[in-house]
Amino acid sequence: MQSHFEYLRPSSTKEAVQMKIEFGQRAKYWAGGTDMTLRWRREIDRFSHCIDITYLTGLDNIEVEEDCIRIGALVSLSALERADQRHHLLKTLSDVTKLMCTPQTRTLATVGGNLSNASPAADLTPPFIAMDALAEITTEDGIRTVPMDQFFEGVNRTVVGDDLLSAIEIPLPESQHKVVKYHRIDRTIVDIALVNASTSLSADRSRTITRAGVALGAVAPIVIRSPAAERFLEGKSIDLVSESDLEKVGEIASEDAKPISDVRASADYRRAMIKVMTARCIKDCIEELGGTIS
Amino acid sequence: MRIRLNVNGNAIELESATDRTLADVLRDELGLIGVRVSCSEGECGSCTILVDGQPMTSCMMLVNQGEGKEILTIEGLGTPEDLHPIQQAFIEEQGFQCAFCTPGFILSAKAFLEENPNPTEDEVAFAMSGNICRCGAYPYIVRSVLNAAEKLQAGSSN
Repeated sequence: MQSHFEYLRPSSTKEAVQMKIEFGQRAKYWAGGTDMTLRWRREIDRFSHCIDITYLTGLDNIEVEEDCIRIGALVSLSALERADQRHHLLKTLSDVTKLMCTPQTRTLATVGGNLSNASPAADLTPPFIAMDALAEITTEDGIRTVPMDQFFEGVNRTVVGDDLLSAIEIPLPESQHKVVKYHRIDRTIVDIALVNASTSLSADRSRTITRAGVALGAVAPIVIRSPAAERFLEGKSIDLVSESDLEKVGEIASEDAKPISDVRASADYRRAMIKVMTARCIKDCIEELGGTIS
Repeated sequence: MRIRLNVNGNAIELESATDRTLADVLRDELGLIGVRVSCSEGECGSCTILVDGQPMTSCMMLVNQGEGKEILTIEGLGTPEDLHPIQQAFIEEQGFQCAFCTPGFILSAKAFLEENPNPTEDEVAFAMSGNICRCGAYPYIVRSVLNAAEKLQAGSSN
């Protein structure tokens, strides 16, 4: 028998946070509900109060500014899918959403929900970490900002607590060309990644890589960075990255991976594939930046 | 809790427990059994309805989340005497066998064809990927949607 809960509909983000603080662990935020419905039905989560945040206004916009892209937490996956023409970074995110669930669940599912569910195999987490994105979290008194690579504490656990994830910001550094790519291993559509990776490269006018982000999914309890792979790439010219460099960066990334064997894939397979996924992402990034692999 | 819904053009007020899904209320309280519930996990697409024109799995929506929105189920689309062009196309192309999944497919097709009135075969297959047909009538379903696209285009140019 499913648990009975009371339904609450806050009229502002602040009121939502106050409700969550009042009821604490007995309350759950509910947005698109595509993960929450399952957690409720399977009795993974038991709660007495459901705080429906879908009627809040102002959290479902995508803003493209000079220095950042801001994606509201309530932007649906289908809205993100439709934003492909607005910025080349959004084009990649749009392609990622097409791999996620089904058309009629993408209309419900939200970007904030995908991140807050904190699955190590989540599709949107690696690109956001690779792009050095920031989580904007609304508290009772204001806003706090957390880098996406510090947002997760474990499987289904984040640093949000009783506060509310309200937006994700992707910084766009001045005079830099920033790109992001994503690859995953899956069976077909409507599947969860067995392993996934995303990389982001920023290059300056001299065609030097000034910042590299390498994020690996489904190879640890949370999506992880490979700092050694990032250092390996930074400082290189986008015209001087060789096939053997791609191989090397894949190897470095796979050394940072700490996969487990489970019903979906073996640890060895995941480690082997993370190497391939990382190399493919870097190759795609270099090509989008206008470089060629020598 | 009193809940106000707008279903198939009718304003409805009803009493419901808050921990019920929109799919269950549409079926059990309003008798709209064209809303098929199969997997209850957002995978099969049987419970697809249109909410403000967008396809949504109603098994994953709380009943309260239907408030203030235009809900369309298969019962609101055409009548036996005057079928909607997509319904007519599914009959002509035999886009079903047992027909359990058909309401979901037709509503997915409606939302899709409004966005992409002149699709390719591949685009139709991708757009229908959130609906499962256990009889495996997929090639017929794709043909039905292509036929419906032609019908709708002919209708709109008249």
